[in-house]
Amino acid sequence: MADTPVERTGDLNGNMLTRRRLLINAGVLAGGVMLAGPLAACGGTSTATNTGGTPKRGGTFRLGVTGGGAKDLIDGQTIITKPDQARLVAGFETLLEYDKDYKLQPGLAESVTQDAPDKWTIKLRSGVTFHDGKALSADDVVYSLQRILTSKEGLFGGAGLASVDPKNITKVDNLTVRLNLKGPDSTIGDQLGQYYNGIVPVGYTRAGTQIGTGPYKYQSFTPGQQSVHVRNPNYWRSGLPYFDQVTIIDFPDVTAQVNALLSGQIDAMTDVPAAQINVVKGHSNLAVLEGQGADWRPLCMAIDMPPFDDNNVRQAFRLIVDRNAMLQQVFSGHGRVANDLYSPFDPAYDSALPQRHQDIAQAKSLLKKAGKENLTVDLHTTDGAAGMVDSANIFATQAKAAGVTVNVHNDPNYYGDQYLKLAFSVDFWGTRNYLPQVANGSIPSAPYNECHWPPSGSNYIALYNQALAEPDASKRADIIHQMQKLEYDQGGYIIPMFNNLVDAYSTKVAGFNSGSKATLNLDSFGHGYRSIWFA
Amino acid sequence: MLERSGGPTGPARRGGIRMFILRRILQGLLVLVLVSIVVFAATQALPGDPARAILGRTATPASLANLREQLHLNRPVIEQYLTWAGGLLHGDAGTSFSAQEPVTKYLSDRIVNTAFLLLLSGLISIPLSIVIGAYAALWRDRPFDVITSLITLVLAALPEFVVGLVLVVLFATTVFQILPAVIVIPPGGRPWDQPLGLILPVLTLVLAVTPYVARIMRASMVEVLESDYVEMARLKGLPERLVLRRHALPNALGPTFQVIAINLAYLAGGVIVVEYIFNFAGIGGALRNAVQDHDIPVVQALAMAIAGLYVVLNLLADIGTIVVTPRLRTRL
Repeated sequence: MADTPVERTGDLNGNMLTRRRLLINAGVLAGGVMLAGPLAACGGTSTATNTGGTPKRGGTFRLGVTGGGAKDLIDGQTIITKPDQARLVAGFETLLEYDKDYKLQPGLAESVTQDAPDKWTIKLRSGVTFHDGKALSADDVVYSLQRILTSKEGLFGGAGLASVDPKNITKVDNLTVRLNLKGPDSTIGDQLGQYYNGIVPVGYTRAGTQIGTGPYKYQSFTPGQQSVHVRNPNYWRSGLPYFDQVTIIDFPDVTAQVNALLSGQIDAMTDVPAAQINVVKGHSNLAVLEGQGADWRPLCMAIDMPPFDDNNVRQAFRLIVDRNAMLQQVFSGHGRVANDLYSPFDPAYDSALPQRHQDIAQAKSLLKKAGKENLTVDLHTTDGAAGMVDSANIFATQAKAAGVTVNVHNDPNYYGDQYLKLAFSVDFWGTRNYLPQVANGSIPSAPYNECHWPPSGSNYIALYNQALAEPDASKRADIIHQMQKLEYDQGGYIIPMFNNLVDAYSTKVAGFNSGSKATLNLDSFGHGYRSIWFA
Repeated sequence: MLERSGGPTGPARRGGIRMFILRRILQGLLVLVLVSIVVFAATQALPGDPARAILGRTATPASLANLREQLHLNRPVIEQYLTWAGGLLHGDAGTSFSAQEPVTKYLSDRIVNTAFLLLLSGLISIPLSIVIGAYAALWRDRPFDVITSLITLVLAALPEFVVGLVLVVLFATTVFQILPAVIVIPPGGRPWDQPLGLILPVLTLVLAVTPYVARIMRASMVEVLESDYVEMARLKGLPERLVLRRHALPNALGPTFQVIAINLAYLAGGVIVVEYIFNFAGIGGALRNAVQDHDIPVVQALAMAIAGLYVVLNLLADIGTIVVTPRLRTRL
């Protein structure tokens, strides 16, 4: 499975700046849109859990990760297994970065501005060097973006940057790159902030030496076992990082991973299973770090297949779910109730739409109206990501109250021939902003459109194209609200909840932000292991 | 297993121990051929399109075509099987889909690590269980026998993942923190570089095997000690040491060899669980990963390797039994 549990690929873009603020920041580029705000503009809801006083240098940070194997790889621009995320962020950086509050901040670029609906300009920071001492220049950015867009490389970021014309990425000067798009696209800033769209030096290949600009240099790597990363003494953020070395160890089993943490063989671990959270909390020298993820496991109703071609049935099914009960049972309450809409961290997410609650009477009456009383449906699921099977079973139980019989099929071959052709199925998704998510799952050209959205005759696609072409964030949000309303009223997704990221670490480690909205585990691995240290 | 019953014992089967071994080797090869057919059928010759099953959600027409080519799926099933089996005979188990390197290269370090773990566990558990079983029989119904019988019965009833986890809780995490809970073998490293980390996995495997063997050894020894020839030896006035070493022990070992072989072969499977618990970088983890990733060449190679180990161990047990049981030798 492709974007397997890995899928946390956030496109979360933080509060895009208001147009007024943009204009102020953009300065001379009057009318241009500058996404990257000043670094200091944080101050959101998350808090540093363990300040541990003044950061100090030194030590080897050992991280235990699960979900890896022989497929593990290091590539500055893609991942296959989940541990790949932990390894990528140690050595590679992006032009823009998401902070702990989902706000886009400057990274290797000082600014990224949309000069026209289909033209973007990237201004690089000066004085950044790669691990081999070579200075970062516009040539590296051109090479990096062209590599992402080379389809035979099979890189993660290609789909999101599809509007960029690889032949029309031009070097303006040594620190400036211009992108001429194939069509209007307001999401380029989001895409450039994705952790997997790392900047690599000209000539970079996966098989060659791993050279990035990140806080740690690659020393050794054996897939499925471990990797060693050593401090980059010439890192451009002066004084950072703090550890001498970071060692990332693959664990085949979460029990072994927890035991290694309990016995002090690792300093932090990703994805503590719900049943083990209290075990970890029971140890005074360990702490649980809970981040607000926005992963989702939708129940997908294909809107053109019976019985779901009748919107009454879709609405009835959405009213059958007891979302809070499902959250408690599937994720032991570590998450938040959802409202059948994805991308909750998108500033354009419409939180004004009323929260749906279980309403069996209303569901029954809608089914009656559709002439589908005592309905029997098949629900297909698989062990593709945590919670997929549980969600299906719990839905089946809850549906009985409305007289609906749901036969759950747990099929190991789920992603085979039948995938995307099923009337009713469970899938999984990571965190993305609204428009990038639509491109992936909610329009006919999307690779994974489980619900066969939108209905024929709907103006949804027109709205989508309009949103892509709209550089103004608040006007774009209005359009997105209209799109969300359509999905809320007629869509095929049942999205009961978003699950949190639950990780654990030794209290020797300081600097993690709890409640972080970082898309990757452990506060995006302590932001590339540069904001954490041994107290 | 030995053919204790059936089969002519007349002149046609004569040929001594050499012919016997040759015959057993041929039988073993036949078993391996049958196993290879089953393994192949279960992994590759399934109905439906294995390529699609393997690639799942990421399947693209190009990657499907590639994989079908790599698996020779476009050719008749018989031909696919012969290509694969022929490769195995030449030591070529194909290329791992996940690791993108030859299966033999990918597995070689892991096989060494697992073999070391098995060998060490075997070297400790076999003498230990023989000694425990023999003394329990000798001191029948005395405290040592009662206590060891009880302990071995309890341990035999516990699956090794329970034993392993209990050991971790006792010695590594909750009660005492004196031993590492997992063994982290750095790339290029070897398990024997970390003797402390080996203690719990080896102990788990020893506890998994020793009870069975010790109980069989005890039963077998009890039977022998009650036999006429031991009685005779004692009546002749031979010293008890000599009675035990010369007459009782060798005869009690025969049936025990079979059980040891079965248990060692069982270890090759049980080691998967143990490697899992202790994060040991061996074939167990590789097999689990390969199954999860639909990495068919690795699954096939490991299934064949484990089947091979079963055949070899059984062969050795049969030979061992023959060697210590003159009675059987004369029947060859």
